Amino acid sequence: MNITEQLRRLRKDLGIAPIVASPAVSTQETTPYAEALRRLLRTRERAHPVKLPPPAGKTVAEGVQLVEHVHAYEASDDVVLPRDEARIDRRRLLCFDTETTGLAGGVGTRAFMIGVADWSENRLRVRQLYLTTMAGEAEMLRLFVSWLRDDTVLVSYNGKSYDAPLLKGRLRLNRIAHPLAELAHVDWLHPTRRVYRGVLPNCKLSTIERDVLRIVREDDLPGAEAPAAWLAYLRGQSSRGLARVLEHNRQDVVTLMRLGDHLGELASR
Amino acid sequence: MSNPTELLVRESSGLMVERLVDRWAEKYGDRITGYLRRPARAARHAEFPAELPHELREALERRGVERLYSHQREAWDHVHAGEHVVVVTPTASGKTLCYNLPVINAVRSARAKALYLFPTKALAQDQVAELLELNKAGALGVRAFTFDGDTPSDAREAIRVKGDIVVSNPDMLHQAILPHHTKWAQFFESLRYVVIDEVHTYRGVFGSHVANVIRRLKRVCAFYGVKPVFILCSATIGNPQAHAEALLGESVHAITESGAPCGERHVLLWNPPVVNPDLGIRASARSQSMRLARHAVRAKMKTIVFAQSRLMVEVLTKYLKDVFDNDPRKPARIRAYRGGYLPTERRETERALRSGTIDAVVSTSALELGVDIGALDVAILNGFPGSIAATWQRLGRAGRRLQPSLGVLVASSQALDQYIVRHPEFFESAPPENARIAPDQLLILLDHIRCAAFELPFNSGDRFGELPVDEFLGVLAESGVLHNEGERWDWIADSYPAGAVSLRSVADGNFVVIDRTDGRQTIIAEVDYGSAALTLYEGAIYMVQSRPYQVELLDWIGRKAYVSKTNADYYTDAIDYNKLKVLDRFDGSNAGQGTCHHGEVHVVRHVSGYKKIKFYTHENIGYGPVTLPDQELHTSSLWWQLSQQTLEQAFGSRQEALDGFLGAAYALHTVASVRVMADGGDLQKAVGSGDAAWYAARDLRGRGQWRRADNSAATTQDSSEFNPTLFLYDNFPGGIGLSEPLFRIASTLVSDAISLVESCECSGGCPACVGPVAGEDAAGVSTQRERAIQLLHLFDA
Repeated sequence: MNITEQLRRLRKDLGIAPIVASPAVSTQETTPYAEALRRLLRTRERAHPVKLPPPAGKTVAEGVQLVEHVHAYEASDDVVLPRDEARIDRRRLLCFDTETTGLAGGVGTRAFMIGVADWSENRLRVRQLYLTTMAGEAEMLRLFVSWLRDDTVLVSYNGKSYDAPLLKGRLRLNRIAHPLAELAHVDWLHPTRRVYRGVLPNCKLSTIERDVLRIVREDDLPGAEAPAAWLAYLRGQSSRGLARVLEHNRQDVVTLMRLGDHLGELASR
Repeated sequence: MSNPTELLVRESSGLMVERLVDRWAEKYGDRITGYLRRPARAARHAEFPAELPHELREALERRGVERLYSHQREAWDHVHAGEHVVVVTPTASGKTLCYNLPVINAVRSARAKALYLFPTKALAQDQVAELLELNKAGALGVRAFTFDGDTPSDAREAIRVKGDIVVSNPDMLHQAILPHHTKWAQFFESLRYVVIDEVHTYRGVFGSHVANVIRRLKRVCAFYGVKPVFILCSATIGNPQAHAEALLGESVHAITESGAPCGERHVLLWNPPVVNPDLGIRASARSQSMRLARHAVRAKMKTIVFAQSRLMVEVLTKYLKDVFDNDPRKPARIRAYRGGYLPTERRETERALRSGTIDAVVSTSALELGVDIGALDVAILNGFPGSIAATWQRLGRAGRRLQPSLGVLVASSQALDQYIVRHPEFFESAPPENARIAPDQLLILLDHIRCAAFELPFNSGDRFGELPVDEFLGVLAESGVLHNEGERWDWIADSYPAGAVSLRSVADGNFVVIDRTDGRQTIIAEVDYGSAALTLYEGAIYMVQSRPYQVELLDWIGRKAYVSKTNADYYTDAIDYNKLKVLDRFDGSNAGQGTCHHGEVHVVRHVSGYKKIKFYTHENIGYGPVTLPDQELHTSSLWWQLSQQTLEQAFGSRQEALDGFLGAAYALHTVASVRVMADGGDLQKAVGSGDAAWYAARDLRGRGQWRRADNSAATTQDSSEFNPTLFLYDNFPGGIGLSEPLFRIASTLVSDAISLVESCECSGGCPACVGPVAGEDAAGVSTQRERAIQLLHLFDA
């Protein structure tokens, strides 16, 4: 039995896929571990991934795609914020949602897609950024930050606890200055909970969407499958999953605007 | 500074110590094999540094500090010069000022931040209490917080932003701070000092992990553009500077001369009386420790008794409570203290000790560190703690600054213990052991490179510590946790790697012990994974504060043991055995007529049953079966072998040869343990076939027995091949760097073992040389001891 085998036994719990044994010779710098590692390295030489064409959008920076959609969306110029019933200009709202490499938390989890929706003159504009290489992250984050204005009001669903801290961490890691901490941020999760806890089986966005807003999604990709879909694209295996993630994310940010109107309506009743 | 009452107390306590020693010498003179007196040491002072701000000096004066001790000043000077330092001074020598002075000064003058790391939560809390008092004395405006697993999540944000001094432990740094370093960005950007106390505890497996956590910390610091100065503190060990440098990977200035005064220290080496001279059997250490503790408590001396295991803590506590706490209406005078108790219970015992409301505490090594428990008079060590360094550390828990103190080392029948008490001159002059770490141990390294990659991406050609990481990155990419793009290696997996790496043990997941007496569901203790199989099997008696509970159900997967109160008059002790198989040879050489190899082995540990042992009489009153999963281990080992032909020529029978192997293994394990500062069970021994076909164990009389791999008895005729192998192995997956250096000195080990066994005073073998031997051998037959000597000579060049 060699160290590969040893590792496999010891590492069961550590979330590493088993190492596939097949001979390969390391030509890298020799260290005191070369011998042991060479055994570890008896892994299949991964063929250089084929670069797949991005499933949608235009390339706006190295490794970053931008997808834009415009939807008709008739609504009043003002929105009512549920808690304090303050009226604000709808054009200030920026609904956003991220798709991330996982739910584990910590600085090693990153967003590979950021979707935002904003409104002007009965039109809802959806813009989505996503990564086609890891190296595109800093540019994607910079573009997102460039969309924020001083009077922007961020809108999210559980974004105060999840999306915003995650983005702040990645921005810090990429040394990009940003105004996220200063901007107003309304998280629909809390007012939704106040209204629907005990009424609906749970307060997931998909439940609210289906049971309250009566929005039906076709062929929706469950959020939990998003990380794997993006990885499959990154590794040159398939871009079909990623296309579905785009659709899912676009729906989410549109729903954010609708949910705001619904909650505002309840509040002003 | 001393007032008349203090003087009076000091004198009377000094007299009491001497009176007690005289009484024991008169009554039990033959049990005292050594009497050491370490003279009192006067203080060496130094002036406050000129650059010390006025308010800080005033705060100190208000706390009764009018000058510094020489080592405190030395630390200030070197830290100010930007050097990393390690301060090596005894308990209660005021080492905390060595780091608090420069830190508080930097916090006040430059709004710098500091991170303090202690090995335990208790020490961290002590430290914050002390900082707060100093802070209050001078209205210094320094904000110090503990940050540990008990910190509520709503307080964490405030601590990250507002804390000037964050007091935590290596585990939290590893699992909660570094993997979230962006949340700590402000803290890291101003981080100027990192204080790591009790660094002598960071040795072996734990130390190797901590060295890697420090590598990660330095990597994150570099990202934020800071290069903090490290201030380390250690109890006395043989190689403080080298150890500190190994932990940091940088050069460190060592401060080893304490300027603090120290009371006279009396130390007795105590060997229990021989009860069976032929067999070399002595009365138990436990019986002696009990007697000494009783005398000390009756003489109104505050006493601490150190026991080697949690079980022994409970047994000794019960016996002392039976004497002193038999009136339930009165407050308890005796308490137990050990890991596994809930934090609140331990804090309460610490408080009771400080305020002097209890008279004796029985503890494991948990109180060996600098937890503030106030001044004690007598320390009784029930058994040699395994190293000279730990012995002095424990003896040091009795006696503060000016009072004389008394320490007694009570030897058990173990070979190491007997060696120490029979060679008082060795004990007196022996330098404390070296602390060893192996930060580049393959598995540990891979774990931390994984964690480091999560925290910040690597680039090809990067180093981790001094090591190029490219090959590791390749391995991690192949297993799918990293993604490589050009020069960059980014974390890609949906996992939190630090969560799966425990610094203190291999397998994660403590067991909780749940009391369900009368339908309750109360958690009464926690047991680490490694000891669960030995203490929580169904039927086991598990004791908390000497109250016995019986394990009714063990949920191995759920990591829970359900117990209920019992009135059993016995306790239980697990029977376990290990079988080994050689997987790979790294190196080998001739050893006399045989060979010695170093390589990799597979160990299976099996708990087969348990013994029921009656309180007080310690007779074995029955057995119970245990069915638990085997625990497996791949580790490094060194082993000795002889050809079948050589063995047949040298020994009259296979039985004799096997006895020789078992005795030699015992002696070699003893001398090897002296050579490495092996923690408890870090180094293990075994005798078996080398291919796991059979292994050898001793029967109740100390004779060798064959056992098949399934633990059924076998006989010598079972196999035509006879290939006994003597193993010493690292008790840690992948090895922890003990076997390899031992292999290099294998011939010295053999000659040391020969002299140990040959110079023993027993007749046929005893626990001090080849292990316990019971029952007399027939006349004309060689003894266990002779067989071991004969075997060892075959390996002697």
